[in-house]
Amino acid sequence: MTHHILVIDDATTVRMYHRKMLSDAGWQVEEAVNGIEALEKVMGQPHDKPFDLYVVDINMPKMDGYSFVRELRRLPQVAQAPVLMVSTESQLQDATAARDAGANGYLVKPAKPNELVLTAALLLGDAGVAHRVAGQTAGQTAAGARA
Amino acid sequence: MGLRKTHTPDARRAVIDREHPRDLDGLLDQLRCGDVKQRRWAARDLARHPQATAALGAQLLRETEPSVREALLTSLQAMPGDSAVSALLPLLRSENAQLRNGAIEALAGMPLAVAPRVAALLHDNDADVRIFSVNLLGELRHAQVVPWLLQVLHDEPEVNVVAAAIEVLAEVGEPGHTGALRAARDRFADDAFIAFAANMAIKRIDAP
Amino acid sequence: MKAAALARREQITEADFLKFRDFFYRKTGIHFDENKRYFVDKRLLDRIEATGADDFRAYFIALRFESKGEELQRLVNAMTVNETYFFREAYQFDCMVNDMLGEVAKRKAPGSRIRIWSIPSSTGEEPYSIAIYLLERWPLINQYDVEIMSSDIDTTVLQSAQRGIYSARAVGQLPKDYLHKYFDQRSDNEFAISRDLVAAVEYSRVNLTDAADTRKFRDIDLIFCRNLLIYFDDLSRRIAAEAMYDAMVPGGFICLGHAESMSRITPLFSVRRFADAMVYQKPMSGVRP
Repeated sequence: MTHHILVIDDATTVRMYHRKMLSDAGWQVEEAVNGIEALEKVMGQPHDKPFDLYVVDINMPKMDGYSFVRELRRLPQVAQAPVLMVSTESQLQDATAARDAGANGYLVKPAKPNELVLTAALLLGDAGVAHRVAGQTAGQTAAGARA
Repeated sequence: MGLRKTHTPDARRAVIDREHPRDLDGLLDQLRCGDVKQRRWAARDLARHPQATAALGAQLLRETEPSVREALLTSLQAMPGDSAVSALLPLLRSENAQLRNGAIEALAGMPLAVAPRVAALLHDNDADVRIFSVNLLGELRHAQVVPWLLQVLHDEPEVNVVAAAIEVLAEVGEPGHTGALRAARDRFADDAFIAFAANMAIKRIDAP
Repeated sequence: MKAAALARREQITEADFLKFRDFFYRKTGIHFDENKRYFVDKRLLDRIEATGADDFRAYFIALRFESKGEELQRLVNAMTVNETYFFREAYQFDCMVNDMLGEVAKRKAPGSRIRIWSIPSSTGEEPYSIAIYLLERWPLINQYDVEIMSSDIDTTVLQSAQRGIYSARAVGQLPKDYLHKYFDQRSDNEFAISRDLVAAVEYSRVNLTDAADTRKFRDIDLIFCRNLLIYFDDLSRRIAAEAMYDAMVPGGFICLGHAESMSRITPLFSVRRFADAMVYQKPMSGVRP
């Protein structure tokens, strides 16, 4: 049973990039372009476990990342699901806001390949992937989860 | 009980039955001082008053209700021109994503009025404003979009702005632009995302 | 596959398809899988020919940069199936009687009015479907006064709705007992709907982008606006959504067509998931956090 990840970003290329990294790690990936479409995908899923991880861009039209996470945390079946927020360096001031909105981690984009996968693996509790990626990046600093 | 046709018109109130004056001054007053519903209706009704664009822009800078913001943005979008552009541009610097992206959407609908401002936007001191400007190009229907993007690929120092430009070029680029994409990829040789994006764009536009 | 068909299909390359697909998904939310290639390619080639473009690339540039954006509307039209018949997308009517009206009714005293707006009502299949559902499948129908308002920009379809004559195809999805109960079969292909139902619906000509038309509609509890907004340009879509938002009571519901989404239109509405359908709701307090 593989993990199911929802990647939410208005930029097609970023979604493709994150999708590739995450699916290469062995996970199933779906996409949404903004918070509203993401909520629709969540609500369209089987009731007991929509997604195992949400990778959420902050700056999106119609509904931004913060609003999405706030709405997500209101849904009883997803109240505990891990959320990884992604943003440009210049919006790093929003790290506190990310935590306040209910995110579990924060990455600066564009994420380095192993950084995204390792952070996702840690948030998913996927020790196998985490171990494999950590081995690959031996000598580099793993970013880990910045809460 | 059951199915009932409307015999009384109260569900469809006549246009003349209005509670507040709907002339320009009355509307501007409602916009500034009314409650949420009044401000929304005023914002909507001002869409027929081109002289109101500055007032709509000013209200956007202080309005906190999301539903009123939406009405303000829609009304500006409905009155394309220099004045609306001037009212919308400050929102690109807003901390609020709804305002920033709402402004981009509205500006995207007025390419002729926006065009004279693009060069300055692409050279703004704030990298975020430059990113949002490139996002705007992604929605803009204007013949200069590609030249503007190529300029960004060539000159822009900030990686995220270049990334945004590559994203748009993947859609609007032509085979002749693959050189510019490769050059951008070389400029940011350490960046895995730029490499990915540039390669994807080259594949998309380099069809035989 | 025959040689000619193969040659045609090769005119839309994989790169072309991906470029179209990403653009179309961004604009409409509709995603075409690889297995939809034949469907998509055929229609793209039709549009390329119709617009006189040399090839896909030229067509796409025109599509992307044409100032009025009308080709996009025509392309959306070509890529979506739009036909009307009784009980079309009936899961939304199920949701109406099973969930939405229940919530609406909880906020009202028995005997009070519930307003349902069908726009575009086209030739009447939708508002009459709503009426039949209410009479047959809503247990509380006799405790409230329900008004069905039926609007369209096109007066000829409104007249057709009031004439109330339908083809066998239009009534094909109806359970046989409803067909017998509410229709009088005039011939093999003519079914006349009960005059009582025609009389129970209120008709009006409305342009959703014209504030003078829409401001007359207030206190609406439930709107069906299906397979219309997807054919509008960005600004018209916003104007229409704003108009419907203001026409609704707080807590009111709106249903779009199954391939449509507010994610491409406006953040004004909340997403609500019920057993039968996903719908949109005007926030209760009128204020989103």
